[in-house]
Amino acid sequence: MTAKRLTALIVATAACGTMACAQGKVDGILHEVVVTGTGTQHLLKDAPVQTEVISRKMLDTYGGKSLEEILGGLTASFAFSEGDMGSQMQLGGLGNAYILILIDGKRVHGDVGGENDLGLIDPHNIERIEIVKGAQSALYGSDAMAGVINIITKKHHDDALYLENTTRYGSYNDVRQHNGVGFGLGRLTSMTNFQLQHTDGWQNTRMERAEGQTLTDSRNKTLNKYTNYQLAERLDYQLAKDLSLYAEGSYYTKQINRPQNGSHPSCDVYTYDLRYRNASAAVGGKWNVNKRDAVTLDVDWNKHAYYYDYTARTYEYMKLEGEEYGELNGEWYSVPMYRGQSKLQSDQQRLMAQAKGVFYLPHDNTLSGGMEFRYDYLNAPLRTANGSASDWTAAAYVQDEFNMLQWLNVTGGLRLVQNHNFGLRLTPKISAMASLGDFRIRAGWGQGFKTPTVKELHYRYLHVMGSSTFFNIGNINLDPQGSNHYNAGVEYRGRKFTASVTGYINKLTDMIALVNVPVGEIPAGVTTAYLGDGSGNVQARMYKNMEDAKTYGVDMNASYKLTSELTLNASYSYLDTDAHLYDTQHNRLEKVTIDGMAHHKWSASAVYQHRFTPKYRLGLNLSTRGSSERFYQNNGNGKGFQIWRLNTTHDLGRTDRKLLYRLELGVDNLLNYRDRTMRPYHLGTTTAGTTVFATFSIKFKQGKALASAEKKGRDKASSGEDSEE
Amino acid sequence: MKKIKSFVLAMLAVALAAPVFTSCNDDDPVNNIVSEYSKNDEMVANQKKASGKNEAVLLVAFGSTWSNSFAAFDATKKAYEKAFPNADVYISFSSDICINRASAGENGEARDYYEPRYLLHAIGAAKYSKIYVQSLQVIPGEEFANVVACVKKFMNNGYIASAHLDDAYLKKLDEDKAIFLGLPLLNDPENDVPEVAKQLDAEYKNEAAKGVVAFMGHGNPDNYDTFKANIRYTQLEEALQAINSNYFVGTVDMPDNYKQDVLARMKEAGKNSGDIYLHALMSIAGDHAHNDMAGGMNPEDEDEYWDASEPESEENSWFMYFKNNEYTPKVTLGTNKEPLGLLEIPGVLNVWIEHTKKAAFLEDAYHSMNPE
Repeated sequence: MTAKRLTALIVATAACGTMACAQGKVDGILHEVVVTGTGTQHLLKDAPVQTEVISRKMLDTYGGKSLEEILGGLTASFAFSEGDMGSQMQLGGLGNAYILILIDGKRVHGDVGGENDLGLIDPHNIERIEIVKGAQSALYGSDAMAGVINIITKKHHDDALYLENTTRYGSYNDVRQHNGVGFGLGRLTSMTNFQLQHTDGWQNTRMERAEGQTLTDSRNKTLNKYTNYQLAERLDYQLAKDLSLYAEGSYYTKQINRPQNGSHPSCDVYTYDLRYRNASAAVGGKWNVNKRDAVTLDVDWNKHAYYYDYTARTYEYMKLEGEEYGELNGEWYSVPMYRGQSKLQSDQQRLMAQAKGVFYLPHDNTLSGGMEFRYDYLNAPLRTANGSASDWTAAAYVQDEFNMLQWLNVTGGLRLVQNHNFGLRLTPKISAMASLGDFRIRAGWGQGFKTPTVKELHYRYLHVMGSSTFFNIGNINLDPQGSNHYNAGVEYRGRKFTASVTGYINKLTDMIALVNVPVGEIPAGVTTAYLGDGSGNVQARMYKNMEDAKTYGVDMNASYKLTSELTLNASYSYLDTDAHLYDTQHNRLEKVTIDGMAHHKWSASAVYQHRFTPKYRLGLNLSTRGSSERFYQNNGNGKGFQIWRLNTTHDLGRTDRKLLYRLELGVDNLLNYRDRTMRPYHLGTTTAGTTVFATFSIKFKQGKALASAEKKGRDKASSGEDSEE
Repeated sequence: MKKIKSFVLAMLAVALAAPVFTSCNDDDPVNNIVSEYSKNDEMVANQKKASGKNEAVLLVAFGSTWSNSFAAFDATKKAYEKAFPNADVYISFSSDICINRASAGENGEARDYYEPRYLLHAIGAAKYSKIYVQSLQVIPGEEFANVVACVKKFMNNGYIASAHLDDAYLKKLDEDKAIFLGLPLLNDPENDVPEVAKQLDAEYKNEAAKGVVAFMGHGNPDNYDTFKANIRYTQLEEALQAINSNYFVGTVDMPDNYKQDVLARMKEAGKNSGDIYLHALMSIAGDHAHNDMAGGMNPEDEDEYWDASEPESEENSWFMYFKNNEYTPKVTLGTNKEPLGLLEIPGVLNVWIEHTKKAAFLEDAYHSMNPE
């Protein structure tokens, strides 16, 4: 851009101020199409199952660097605490294990200690996010007791050539790099994505409670330094007019560096870093039986491996097996690992096969049906009694959407689950929606069924968090969990104003939670190496079924379009939980805190977008998010907080041109709020205080893909979460 | 058709590439074990060469990450060097975590501790003519069993083939009756328990004259108490009370001998209020002594160690528990301003040293690795 043009732009900005000086297009929210609740496409306002959407516009103006930031900042439903291993996420009072994260309808794989590594999700490749709460969907498994987050990625099928580079840089050396290359070649389209995320991490406090005193020079960070990158490739092939196939694969790795210069062996000295390696491969296809009906088939394999990378001599207690060990064959032995060496801690692999069909039947019925097979394999020589464990689950489901009356839709579903260890279970779901003018009244009930995971049954490990050390152990006597999720809500979608209020109760039976137990409950021998003569203090924790657990709350969302360019959004979530565990030591029922629960969470934003010239569009997003106190079983409660953020976007270049530029400048945490609670006590938020960031994107689009002409002929309302364009 | 072929090939390429990407660089434990033997061997060989001594004492403690404990281990080593002038004294930790963390501290503060199995191999490789292995455990429990297993493995040359010791040397140790196993502090109820009671009384009789003196041992849950060693705490209390009825012995983990059980026995004995002096009955004063026993000693920390809704909770310290039960708890600090561990009481340390001096030859431990 020349200096002259830049001057013109500045003058134009000054002249217009915040007044609207051009007519904006009617916002697309009214016409938003969602797929997650039923697996079939619906306009958001007509979706039979209550669906919350984070739109492209919200994502574009917010400038989130990660999925945590996006979900935490743009809805009030989620709470996060970032840890070494990933993100502890919470939705409706329930943690990661109960939240199903999908990328284009496919389950994200892998957790470490119940935390998901959300670094797998490239924030710059998200088209929109759909959230369905409770075990309401027959399609996505009854184990999604808290809900489903479906991340719809950007597609570029219609471009003959597509190139993108996005680079974001922020405080604490925070780098987010995204590159996309897409092309269409005859019937073949290819999309390659690369992303990299890095931060140096930060330290909110040097105070740490350890060695019976308050240390003032702890080197432990609030967030450790990390780097991850991912390379993903997807190939689509239009075999025939009504048959398309795809193959995709990805590789991901994350390296987490912990402080190497600590001086207190009891809390800030580490002898190893952490590393993850993920890989995935999938193949599948879709057959459009006729204009509307379709059948899809997917097979995918995922691997999530977790390593220690040693930085100093570290004795690892491991079972020696093999002739090469001679006299030591079969013994548990302390094996030293040296700087530069690595050791696998766990490798979770999953194979899934899914077949699904959607058929539009007479009398306003839409029938979906499908089958799913899932095999899980855990290889963890140091962390399971037998070195490995496995499990499989098969499921079949059917769902009918019936427009009973012009104003009444009833959607019913059944999901039959067969688990290798825990047998057969049928889970029904039903939801109804009445359309009264601009009002939608919805009510639903969904049953959930979740068998203990391989990790909950068999995995055990020592979790060292600074001066707090926990010995976490699986429990082979666990029972499967069940849930009944009830919700009812009213939604109003007018031209300028939309609002919804939804209340829910989620009653869980045999909910599995990691809870403190007396050492005596852990099999003898397992912990001897850790508990010893008592010079160290290790808290034993075990997975247990709770007697009962209930989470209930109200979610509210409102959006008001003040002008065609200025929109105000607000979101509030109230939550309460009630859970009990039978205390075998005292023979009584004990109330248990569900870790991370907060009663009140909120977020709000003012979004302004204005095109000053055909070549320049400004976007402003002023937002806030907050939470009341968060409750925990160990190490104190997290303080309530409220954080403000301002992001500006600058779109440069005409939208009909091949080359587009975009600049984003933003400040997060405007008032520099920082929770400096000493370690190891819980923080309400890990925010580093005020941070600034800048993002620069270049996009290049060239021509039309040949295949797109054929695609245009298809009925877009057919079905399938991966048919989004 | 050609396109289908290339498409299928592309799919296969993607599917096959992913696992290849993830091949990992795990190292071979055999090499690491052998190399760790070598490192220990070298260190011990250097020590033997420098001292010219022909006897070795190997002390086996659980370990710690507390700096006051490192000082206690240093002092213990010195005391042993004085008691065994003809021996090189080595100290080892059986806890991996303690070794790992202690050895990775900042320059100047890093402490290298060694694992008993590796250190004993090195002592054998250096061919000391007399070896004492002394357990620094308080009771003969599971930890002590691990020490016994370690010595037996040594005498049976139970190592990886490439790291075998000279079998003739082990045979000679056996023939010369030159491998000794020192027993834990409270091993013998007839002699050790009264002796330790006597030493504790010598240290704390002034306190016992003024109020209750309560010792906090560790103890084991029932399913861990394989050697029924928990009973030593009860026996010690009996021996102490024979001297002065103001002594009590409780534990952190032994069923029916928690802080509330100590309180019940105190009340039964009519000791309903007054001063209560708290002491750790553990070899060193680490986490349990500071938190479970003395937690809340500094008034600003009181809230951390007291939950009134559940007074008997494990989270509540002894200090706060007795304070909230009408007593005046006191924690006597050493010159280092820390609670003391048993190794820091000279009379008690001497019981351990005497155990080493009187240690019995470990009979039947040697079995030739090449039986005829």
